[in-house]
Amino acid sequence: MPKLFLRCSLLGKGPSLGVARGLKRRTNDRLELSEKPYICAMYGNHVVRPEDIENWGRKVHEEDPEKLAEFEARIDRGEKIEPHDWMPFEYRRQLIRLIEQHAHSEIIGALPEGTWITRAPNFRRKLALMAKVQDEVGHAQLLYSAAETLGKSREAMINDLLSGKSKYSNIFNYPAKTWADTAIIAWLVDAGAIINQTTNSKGSYGPYVRALERICWEESFHLKYGYDSVVYLATGTPRQRAMLQDALNRWWRPLMHFFGPPDQQSLHTEKLVRWKVKLATNDEMRQQFLDMYVPKIWELGLTVPDPILHKDPETGRWIYADPNWEEFWQVINGNGPCNKERLAVRRFAEENGRWVRDALRPQNAHYVTPLA
Amino acid sequence: MSSLDPRIQRAEPRLSQITEVQLEPLDHWPIYEVFVQRTRGGHAQHVGSLHAPDPDLALVLAKEQYARRSQCVALWVVPTEAILWTSAEDEDLFQPATDKSYREPQGYLNTRERLEKYRDRLKPIS
Amino acid sequence: MLENLQTLILTLADDDLFMGHRHAEWIGLGPILEEDIAFASIAQDETGHAQAYYQILTDLGLPSPDEWAFRREPQNFRCAHLVELPNFDYDYAVALLRHFFYDAFEKVRLQALTRSAYEPLALLAKRLQSEEKYHWLHARTWVERLGRSTEEAHRRLLAARDLLWPYAWALFEPLPNEAEMVEAGWIPPSQTLQEEWFALIQPILEPIGLWKEPPSSSELAPCLGARYGQRSPYFDQLYAEFTEVSASEPDADW
Repeated sequence: MPKLFLRCSLLGKGPSLGVARGLKRRTNDRLELSEKPYICAMYGNHVVRPEDIENWGRKVHEEDPEKLAEFEARIDRGEKIEPHDWMPFEYRRQLIRLIEQHAHSEIIGALPEGTWITRAPNFRRKLALMAKVQDEVGHAQLLYSAAETLGKSREAMINDLLSGKSKYSNIFNYPAKTWADTAIIAWLVDAGAIINQTTNSKGSYGPYVRALERICWEESFHLKYGYDSVVYLATGTPRQRAMLQDALNRWWRPLMHFFGPPDQQSLHTEKLVRWKVKLATNDEMRQQFLDMYVPKIWELGLTVPDPILHKDPETGRWIYADPNWEEFWQVINGNGPCNKERLAVRRFAEENGRWVRDALRPQNAHYVTPLA
Repeated sequence: MSSLDPRIQRAEPRLSQITEVQLEPLDHWPIYEVFVQRTRGGHAQHVGSLHAPDPDLALVLAKEQYARRSQCVALWVVPTEAILWTSAEDEDLFQPATDKSYREPQGYLNTRERLEKYRDRLKPIS
Repeated sequence: MLENLQTLILTLADDDLFMGHRHAEWIGLGPILEEDIAFASIAQDETGHAQAYYQILTDLGLPSPDEWAFRREPQNFRCAHLVELPNFDYDYAVALLRHFFYDAFEKVRLQALTRSAYEPLALLAKRLQSEEKYHWLHARTWVERLGRSTEEAHRRLLAARDLLWPYAWALFEPLPNEAEMVEAGWIPPSQTLQEEWFALIQPILEPIGLWKEPPSSSELAPCLGARYGQRSPYFDQLYAEFTEVSASEPDADW
């Protein structure tokens, strides 16, 4: 068992070894936990406390150049940034936003497919769909934890989701109208998510990368299940094939929106690329998706509702019709078919469970940021 | 609300009556760190954290979030509050300042060479 | 003989099938993420147990688990009414207490089945015990805590208990031709199981003020008949939803 160094330091005040503040002296061989949170637990409240973060609110050009250089050198070396490292405030802010949105996408993402759990048509599908939706909830849990390490509490994140302040992936604002929709979602939406997640798993922030490794592994089951479900419908009765084609027709445009607006419409992200927060452009990921999945869709004898969709033999790039970005902006700003319902359901789940959480909450609990 | 999900339909009318939700700090309980021992003979390894109201429920809930798929023979939970850790600034505490190969096997690569030299000196001059 | 075996297996399977189905209604809607995840596992387990029980019949040349689950007339089911009940008002107290009563029953029933003279059943029961162990741990950990917590929690649990009590008792309605099953050594009498069930749950419920005298016969009467094919008023809607997709293309693969 390695010796534990007890750490007692406020940021910028220099190290000193000794008993961490807040820890009572050993008495009778029992370590008594004191009332105050340990000094190493940096965040005492449920929101990022400016007074705890030495460089809170600083713009990048205001950061200590030496620290910034060291930080960037670390990233260049391929090393991960961990929760207690010094980091530019902009890095912290952007990562919280990114990971939080991802977490929200998972918990909301549980809802379209959850629509069909009680009506799944056989044991294998019923069990797999239960497991898949459970995984989405599980992924939300892992991602909220990762974001929490940066100092924003889960409660604050959920409040921002429910108030509409924080966003989640647009694609979940569309309805799962039929059983075939669940197959298309499990195959193609999860395919998109895997491309996103695999890309991001090469990022710089340790807790997020660790969460993504497990998520990618579980998503590979989702993809296989989704594809299996699609194949059974595509090779099934005429009505099943028609249901599947109809589902694909309705989900195609949201899928084209999935990776975000075209690169020339996107905000400047040089810093995020430099810091390995954004690791591929929207268009790059969209191209990857088309390249991997359009041939597979065609192989099933399905059509894609895009009259010009094809791969340019010279450039190797997929050419596609404009997927109506106006609709994307409408939906992301709250005017999609299911925006209101998705948030209403999450509000219900939180409020409905309030008495349960209240009943068991310990009296003298202190908020402590998760470690890793 | 006419949801496509019959489960959601059954939550009405109460569901639509809830218009605003605000969670207070610690609404979702304190945090515990989770360790999983994958196989007998292996070390328990940190795998993540979860929100729980007490240690027993932390164990019960950790079992499904952290061991429903992975191989596991034992599960530990610890309140995050009970853990102390070294700071990032003190990472240099782990860097040795001087050559400490005297306590590593690779500090002893030349032993054989000394013996060979000695035996060479002892060989009779022919 | 085969008919009795079928009755017994269907009782076991149908109970688990709809218990899992009702638990699954909470996936994505649970009171906190961690519990949502845990309860979803329990839902999957029960559904998987149902499939495994049906498989015993399939191995004897009878229909497949999917056919047993998705293609039967209501009167041919043998599930207790307790598992047919909806998740009334999405009250988690009802969900937890039903899970508590049911998994105490499963614990006692499975333990008995491990000694069954019908070997495939004994072997399966032995395997299922490890998952049921978790279910019982989960159920009693929650109920013990909630029962001692706030006034609101206790009030809800009392209301849930009053609602579920006669249905929980009816879990032990003797099976058709039970005497022959007991004679064959397949299962002990339901009465015995009920006594073991009391011994298990009373020490937990009494200290937290949730114990109660037995239901009156008029309270119990509407809950009986389940093992003989009488369904609760909730079954039709439950099964219509359960079979909505499978029935839309009855001969298709999914």
